[in-house]
Amino acid sequence: MKNIFRPIEATLEDVIVESANIKTFVLRPKEDFSFKTGQFIELTLPGLGEAPFTPSSNPNIKEKIDVTIMKAGRITSLLHSSQKNISLGIRGPYGKGYPLEKFHGKDVFIVGGGVGLAPLRSLLFSLFAEIDKYNKVILRYGARSPQDIIYKEQIPEWSKIKNVDIVTTVDVGDTTWKGNVGLITTILKDLPLDLKKAVAIVCGPPIMMKFVTLKLLDLGFKPDDIYLSMEKNMSCGLGKCGHCRLGSFYICKDGPVFTYAQLKDIHDIWD
Amino acid sequence: MYNIYYISAIQLNEFIHRLKKTFTVFAPVERKENFTRETDYSYKKLAEAEQIVFNPYRAVDPLKVFFTHSKEEVSQYFGPDKEIIDLKKTVIFGVKACDIAGHRIQDFVFLEGVEVDALYRVRRENTILISGDCTDFKQVCHCLAWEILPHPAWGFDLNLSPLNEGYLVEVGSDKGTELIRKFAEYFSPAKDVQIAGRLAKRESLIDRLRRHLLPQNLVTKDSVQKLVKDGYNIDTWQQFMQTCVECGGCNFICDTCHCFLLADKKDHQQNKKIRIWDACLYASYARVAGGANPNKLRAQRLRFRFTKKFDFFIDNLGIPACCGCGRCIEVCPGKIDIREVLKDLAKKLSVKT
Repeated sequence: MKNIFRPIEATLEDVIVESANIKTFVLRPKEDFSFKTGQFIELTLPGLGEAPFTPSSNPNIKEKIDVTIMKAGRITSLLHSSQKNISLGIRGPYGKGYPLEKFHGKDVFIVGGGVGLAPLRSLLFSLFAEIDKYNKVILRYGARSPQDIIYKEQIPEWSKIKNVDIVTTVDVGDTTWKGNVGLITTILKDLPLDLKKAVAIVCGPPIMMKFVTLKLLDLGFKPDDIYLSMEKNMSCGLGKCGHCRLGSFYICKDGPVFTYAQLKDIHDIWD
Repeated sequence: MYNIYYISAIQLNEFIHRLKKTFTVFAPVERKENFTRETDYSYKKLAEAEQIVFNPYRAVDPLKVFFTHSKEEVSQYFGPDKEIIDLKKTVIFGVKACDIAGHRIQDFVFLEGVEVDALYRVRRENTILISGDCTDFKQVCHCLAWEILPHPAWGFDLNLSPLNEGYLVEVGSDKGTELIRKFAEYFSPAKDVQIAGRLAKRESLIDRLRRHLLPQNLVTKDSVQKLVKDGYNIDTWQQFMQTCVECGGCNFICDTCHCFLLADKKDHQQNKKIRIWDACLYASYARVAGGANPNKLRAQRLRFRFTKKFDFFIDNLGIPACCGCGRCIEVCPGKIDIREVLKDLAKKLSVKT
């Protein structure tokens, strides 16, 4: 019988600096490993500990996985000071991910904040791979400052894809920044989408998710059509350890992607 | 359909000691360090020539200690999957109805859901539960509040009901049938009059327990979920947490609490992944990277414990995650009483209990 807690070995093949406190870790698993976009993994430093992350790479690429990580706590700090070629452990993938088939034929409206663009990049790659199945892909992305924008070289490339519409903003600009300045909610207007056949997908810090969700409801999105990436301190990933309970759900196994309709009656979901 | 047998007290002792050839037998013993009026019992490995004790009520230890450990290795880095084999076969004697009811939660967590916990399953398969009717109760016992009767009706391999100079033995599983077959010389089919005697004893205890609980005016199974939901913003949580010392005792002693943390253990030979019991009453329980914590306040943590027990589990399994064993009441240095918390919610919400 399978040991559900056994990590598989992966080589840290490359480390890409995305911003002052965000790096992308390129992993090559030594055993078969695949995930669906939106599912998460537990990434472990053997002997030191593990933390949950959602891969940021294209799920169709099987031999390598990218994980984009912001330095925030103990494990992420250790990861940020890690050198190439060390062995890391992977457990998972866990959770349900994005229900892509429900997005077919629709305007897919994606709102990202900060490092929240990481899991969304994996979603974007999945959408781009079958772009004809979707009516439009619209991305609105906000970062704290121009320096905090991740995937800087890639975003202009994505904009060239047909039926893809991208607008970015920063909370605080600088002398070189010619783009939008203002919170993410300031660019959630005059959207080129048809509400009757649109879904919204939000990923970012809790406070951003809260205000974006309120704005989306204001715009007329139905709670059923708003998909939120929820986060807590998932430990086991299998709905057994108890940590990530939100109301009568476990984020790890029932999520991490939920519709707002599923969550709206639960207290303190943004805490 | 399983049968009911009779065994004399002397033969029971012999039977259990013979099981020691194949099994490690754990049985309750009186605790010597007991300072309360009540006698406490604790599971201990049955020693040679030691007389088996029939405990009148549940032991101090929750049943879960035999299936998950407070700290244990669950995996290595890296290498092939190690088969979990040949774990010692165990008999646990003296399990009570509350333990069995509470353990339903542990089974749900570790045997059901998206994946099965292999270690837990092997231990479960290798363990025989010999339960017994309660013949008395502790002051804190309140199984009846959750509609759990003080004698097991399911979930055991063999169940003992004291009667005269011996016991009625009810078979509850194929493993139990196998034991009776193997040790047939000790068991004779129970007579109708003996079964009637068992019923009378059971009813008499239920009646005594009911009279003990009636003045307590406890919250009922039907009303409890609505209470903890409606009571989300009631000050009960703050009020009762004033004396909490955050020891986690209520969590660790609880038959149904199952939370754990997967951690790593550094080892120059081979790094290991370990599982440690965790407690939602700890400040660190819900903390995330960067320090944010949805349960920073102790009141939030008490509420988390109660919504888990009485909302989450009723939604997900149809039963509350409390078996009325009262262990958390006895263990709490702050004298926080699960019965009183619920009653306070009920009072403040003016729900008739």
